[in-house]
Parts: sequence; C-alpha cells; structure tokens
Amino acid sequence: MHRSATLAVIALALTLTACGSKVEDPVEQIVVRPPGVAAVPAAPAAWDLVAAGKAAFAVCTACHSAEPGGASGIGPNLHGVVGRGAGSVAGFSYSEAMAKSGLTWTESELDAFIANPSGKVPGTEMVAGQVADAQRRAAIIAYLASLKN
Amino acid sequence: MNDMPQQPQRSRAAKWTRRGFIGAGVLAGGALVIGVGVRTGNPVGRLGPLVAGGEGEQLINSWLKIGADNIVTAIVPHCEMGQGVHSVLAQMLADELDADWSLVRVMQAPADGSYVVTDTIRTFVAPGTLDAPDWLEPTWNGLFTKIAQLADGLITGGSSSIRTTGQRTMRIAGAAARQMLIGAAAREWDVAAAEITTANSMLSHKPSGRSAPYSQFAAAAAEQDMPQTPQMKAPENYRLMGKDVPRIDIPDKVNGAASFGIDAVVPGQTLTYAAVRRVPVPGTRVAKMDAAQAKTMPGVLQILNMGDFLAVVADSYWQAQQALNAVTAEYTAPESTIRSSDDQFARFAAALDAAGDKGGEEVIGRGDVPTAMQAAAKTVSADYQVPYLAHAPLEPMNATVWARDGRCEIWTSTQVPLMARSAAAKALGLSKDDVTMHHPMLGGGFGRRLETDYVVMAARIGQATGYPVKMIWSREEDTQKGLFRCADMSRFTGGLDAQGRLTAYNNVFTQRNDPADACDCAFYDIPNKSIRVAEAELHLPFAAFRSVDHSQQAFFIESFIDEAAQAAGRDPLEFRLAMLGQSPRHKAVLEKAAAMAGWNAKPAAGHGRGIALTESFGTIVAEVVEVDMSSGKPRLTNVWCAADPGFAMNPDGFRNQMEGGIVFGLTAALYGEISLKDGAVEQSNFHDYKLMRMDECPAIAVEIINGDHVRLGGAGEPGLPPAAPALANAIFAATGKRIRALPLAKHFA
Repeated sequence: MHRSATLAVIALALTLTACGSKVEDPVEQIVVRPPGVAAVPAAPAAWDLVAAGKAAFAVCTACHSAEPGGASGIGPNLHGVVGRGAGSVAGFSYSEAMAKSGLTWTESELDAFIANPSGKVPGTEMVAGQVADAQRRAAIIAYLASLKN
Repeated sequence: MNDMPQQPQRSRAAKWTRRGFIGAGVLAGGALVIGVGVRTGNPVGRLGPLVAGGEGEQLINSWLKIGADNIVTAIVPHCEMGQGVHSVLAQMLADELDADWSLVRVMQAPADGSYVVTDTIRTFVAPGTLDAPDWLEPTWNGLFTKIAQLADGLITGGSSSIRTTGQRTMRIAGAAARQMLIGAAAREWDVAAAEITTANSMLSHKPSGRSAPYSQFAAAAAEQDMPQTPQMKAPENYRLMGKDVPRIDIPDKVNGAASFGIDAVVPGQTLTYAAVRRVPVPGTRVAKMDAAQAKTMPGVLQILNMGDFLAVVADSYWQAQQALNAVTAEYTAPESTIRSSDDQFARFAAALDAAGDKGGEEVIGRGDVPTAMQAAAKTVSADYQVPYLAHAPLEPMNATVWARDGRCEIWTSTQVPLMARSAAAKALGLSKDDVTMHHPMLGGGFGRRLETDYVVMAARIGQATGYPVKMIWSREEDTQKGLFRCADMSRFTGGLDAQGRLTAYNNVFTQRNDPADACDCAFYDIPNKSIRVAEAELHLPFAAFRSVDHSQQAFFIESFIDEAAQAAGRDPLEFRLAMLGQSPRHKAVLEKAAAMAGWNAKPAAGHGRGIALTESFGTIVAEVVEVDMSSGKPRLTNVWCAADPGFAMNPDGFRNQMEGGIVFGLTAALYGEISLKDGAVEQSNFHDYKLMRMDECPAIAVEIINGDHVRLGGAGEPGLPPAAPALANAIFAATGKRIRALPLAKHFA
C-alpha cells in the first residue's frame, strides 16, 4: 500500500463528512479564572507605569542620559525634561528648528513629539526613537516625570 | 475577435466550453453554471459581496476585479508562502489583460468552494485528461470542479501553481476580461470590436481617437457574455510573462507590514494564548497530569489535558509557556518497539534483506535484469540512507480560534484552507459551513502546512475555552512533535557491460509517497531495470517535505549513478551524457551546468566538483557543486545550476526558487537529522537542528533554458533534489570518500 501525499490528503478530505464524528473533549479541564477577570489591572498603578517606563527608556539611552548631571550624548540629557523649555540644556547643540520651537515640554507635548518627532518639530535632528505605541509613550513620560529633583 | 458574440446568447448550457471554468465552480440546481454577468445564480453576483465589497469595485469574473481608480486586482487562490505565487499569477493574468503592472494588486481568494483549484487537482489526479478534445472539455472541467469541491481542493503544493492555475485559469481570466472590456467599449462607442486596442489598462479606438481607462467599462464588461475561446497570447507577444517584473509582495515583507498567520488578531476581542505539549512518543497518551504549581502561576486561565496533548491558556504566550513548563505528566507506554534511530534503520535493512533481488512491490520493471546482470562485465552495489527531517519553518505552527454558539472562526497559515476547515469542523462536530477560515500568508510551508493537525488542536482548545485563543507551538514543540520527512534506505546493484555502459539496474527502497515516479531516473537510457519498494514501518508520522520523495530519491539515485561511473572508469559527466541519447532537453541542461562550472578545467587543490541531474515536478535541473575539503571539513564554494522549466514566467522569481531549493537541499544534506532516543526526537531547537548559515552559503549561479513553452514545469521544489547528491559527489571527487548516509557533516566532525 503506497501513501501518496497529495492523493492521500484529497482522499482524506473526501471521507470527511459534513458532520463527522467529533474528536474527544478534554480529559481534564482546570479553569483557574475567566479571561479579563483579575488579570492585569486595566490601568496600571503609577509605580508600575514608572517601572515600565524605565524599562522602555532603555532604548532611548542609546542617545539620551537621564542621570542628574549626566553628559548629553547624541541627544540632550533628559533629567527633568518634563516642564522645561525645548532647547534649554546648556551646552547641547540643538537643531535650529528645536532651538526656535518655543515649546514647553508638558507631558502632552512630549507625547506628541515622541509619537512623531519630525512631524511635531520639522527639522529636528531626532531621526530615530519614534515610539508608535501610546502606552509605551505614556510609560516613558511617566518615568521622565518621576525624575524631577 | 471572431468569437466575440455580438448578440448575447442566453443558453447557458450551450456555452460551457474549455474556457468556461473561469466563471465556474458554482452549482445551481444540479447544473454547472458559468458566466460572468451580474445575474442571479452567476458567480459574479454571488462572489461580488465576498471579494469585491470595496467602494467602486467591479468583479469582472471570478478571478479579477477592477476599481474606480483603474486598479486591477487579481484574486489568487493559491497561498503565498514565500514562493512568490501571488505576484506571478497576477503577472500572468495582467499580461493577458494588457494591464499596467503598476496598477495591479493581489488579493488572496477566500476559503470558499468557488475558489477551488480545479486544474491543480486535475493535474494531480488525472493529467491524461488535460489534452481532452474541446467537445469533451466541459464534461471534464465540470467533473473536476465538482471533485475539487468535494475534496476541498484549495491547495498549494506540488510546484503546481503556475503550470495549472496560472496557465489554465489566471491567463484565461485575464484574456476573457480583456475581451469583455473591448466588447463593452465597442457597444458604447458603436465601433467594431476589432478596431479597439488595449494597452496599459486603457482601451483605445484609433480611427475615432477615443480612449478610456478599463475602469470606465468595468461594470458594462461584467454584463458581457463570457467569450467562448479567449485569445491567448503567443510567447512572442508576452509583455509581462517571461520578464523580471517586481514582486508585489516584497515591499510589505521588507517594511514589516505583511501579516502572517501568527500575527492574527480577533477584531474587537482580547486574545488569550495557548502553549501546548504533545506526547513525547507518537501514539502514546497522557496518563496523568500534575498542574498544582502551574495553577498558581501568573496569567494562567486554564490548564487542559486533551488526552493526546497538554495545553495551558494564559493572558500572554510567555505566561502560558512558563506555566506549561511547570506542568508534569506521565505517559502511557508506546506500542512501537522502535526506540532509537538504529532501531529504525535496522527495520529498513530487514525489509530490504527480505525483499532480496526480486522481492517487494514492483514500481518499474523493464527488460530482463537477472540476465543482464549475469552478462555484466562488472557489478557495483551500494546501500544509502537518509534520516528523518523536520521542516523547521520560521513561523512555528500556530492557529487562532474563536469557537462559540455552534460556530467557529479560525485564523491560520495553511497550504490547504478548505481541508483545514473540514478537519476543524469534524473535530468540533460542526458543519463545514459553520466554520470560517481566514488564511493569511505563511512564514514558510515546505509541505508541513499541507497537514491540519495543528489547526485541529487549536480548534479543540478553542472549543474547550469558548473564548478567542491563539495557540503557538514553541520551537522545541515544532522540532520534536511535528510531522517529518521520512527516513529511508535504498539498495542498488548495477551491471556494467564491457564498454562500461550501465545495462542492468536493480533498486529497492522502503518509503514511497509522492510523486509516483520520483524513484525512477527515466531520462537515462538503461535497458534493464527493476525498481521496487519494500515497505517498512516508520516510527514518526509523515508530512510531505519540499520535493517529497525526490528529496531522498535524488540522493540515492544520483549517488549511485556516480558510483557506477567510477566503477566504469568514466568521468561522471561523460557517463551521464552517454545515457541521455533519448532525452535531448536533459542533455542540454546537463551540458549547460557543466559549461557554467567549467567542468573540464581542474578545480583548485583540495577542491572537488560533483554533478547531479534530476527531473521533478516537470522541471529538469542539473547542478554542479564545488566543495573545498582542504580544511578537512566541507566548505561549499560554488553551485552552478541549469534548469529547464519549459518557460520561466518570472525568471527572477524562478532563479530565486532554485536558489532557495538549493540552500534548503544543501542544509539538509550537510546537517539535517532528526534522530530518535527512547522513542522520542532528540533535537529540540536550532542549536542541535542546525541550518546552514549565511557565511557557509556558496555562490549560486542559475541559468534558465526555456525548452517548451506549452508544457511548463514547477519552480518551488525542483531546485532541491540535485543539491545533496551533487555535494556528496563533490566530496568524493575531492577526497575519494564516498558518503552513503546523510547528513554529510557528521562524517567530518
């Protein structure tokens, strides 16, 4: 008896009746809880958000320090960025667009900028680091906001 | 334009012709209904809402629609798994339609009986009917459409899409739509259809200076009757076919926008995730499950003992897998007494011993082998063996299921969407109509996704939970518990006459699946042949692997032919050429590959070249592999490949498939081995199921010979079979060491 892969699947399909015999149900089913109940809280607690933001910020550290007094890298130091004016870190060479933007980094302005840097400030030199995910941005901003002295 | 009916004919039955199937696939009142007009009972009316629901879209026939923006969308029934089928089938349709390639898009046909691949099924089941006379064609076509529908024949495999659906469906659909557009414009402009020309998705009437985009006549075209014999282009008139037009699917794959089965989301629903663990030894069952620890772990929703596998459902995949790792289980004792790879190969050897010189089931018998063997001046004998292989697609097995209220919705990457639907329906005790399939692109198929086991598993989990679940196999699960390319063993004796010609050929092996002729090198002129199969038990379950039986048979046959050449004291190329007197296309392909490699010039010191020739899935392929053995281990430097697929519809795509097949074949030959210990698979992940790395990949050159513009061969698989024997033959040429058991790298560890 030969098996022919193609013919076998076709033959198999032909033997499947519209309402075939059902295969077995679970031998054992342990229900711990239904989905969506007592799972992760819908809005994570503030400290959770900061912790998540700190983790998410790891990507940003390629260019930005967030240490108090830390040296600026490719991008400016972001310690205390929330609430301060754009282009205000002493000694950092900003793009003309950023220096003249007149922005104040409120949480919502930061959110808009990180979501689309060159859309928010056309001409910015921040060409990498866009964060598309809103939750991720919220976490990163919460982390930055927590770094005030 | 003689066959463009001026007056609409209303007798549908009389209109059923060899071209009719472009609108076929619909049974109404027991009669096959064709036609493309938007009329009750005709496919466009019924299929329109299914596939052309967009604003301003007009379905012209089952296989294409035109939008108000003049975008032509080809509705392709085959699945895209990296082989480029979506793009090339659209290319064939677009050429016949005279469409502007930049205005062509592709849509995956839905998992619906209207989109069965009649001509693929027909080519598999009864290729002899493809040459039916016109008067008989409607009968055959209707019959095979019905068979395809009954058999859930929406299948992507067998390197068949271009030569079946492409040649016999997509091209005809494009040509028919072009004629229907012309017919509609002729009526509107009140000019002769013959005076209207088409190019770049535009209709033009030169005498009156009128022109219009296709979109302007799309609705009227759909009202036209189906042309009886759409005018197909001769090769000299191809504009897109045979050209390296850019693939439609590539940009989305480069920028990450492409969606695969594992990316599935259930609209409006939060997904849960299932990790699964099948029983370690095939045929055993879970005897006892201990989930005490897993129950307490974060994110866990349910723990299931399904009898043949365990599952943990959790809020995230990671949580599900972590909890599953904490579930312990005991299993029933296996029935199979095969515990190790040695046991498996001993089983094969016993079957071959029992078959002897004449036993087993005859596949090919020609001439008188015993007499010729008696008369031979010299005989040569060899046994070869290959291990089990895993398909190891980058996208592991997965399926997303939402079963509720007597219905089930499934999202999964599969080569057989309708079969998957039926299998899930059967498992859940539902009717097929109560199961809806969504089948996005595949992150690799290689034959593994011709099987529906993983879809059934997910459906069973989904039915147990009642809420949406995405089941994902771990890489370890995929490597150890799947379905496998079978291990096999093959035994040869050859008889050479005084002139060194192979006059007697005796071969017996243990595994035969598909294609039926894979075990025969029919193109070689060998007067006396006995090829037999002596079946032996397999421990691991089978799934077709890229090129199926050719993946092992080519290694067996082309290694043995090389040994026969050596025994005859002849150059391996010259020995083969001498047997190709009846096979001019094979001879041309072999000569081409040899010329590309500079076969007659000696390779560098420590290097060796090997050659192999195969025909699989209608395509003739010769490969020369050069290997550098100077370090004591095989380092591949070059592969020269010549291939005759009849006609390469997209040469760049064809070369790409040859390259992919070669890499797949070489990696299997060098490293591929699934071995058994205590009845279970030993390997688990890519650290011990090695694939060839980028830095090990040789330079690959591919040249195409278009040897037959009518009967085309496939592309997806034929590049693979010659790779293993050409490499083994190259190692022999370099070292004098003949390796008869794969994988090759094991012999140089």
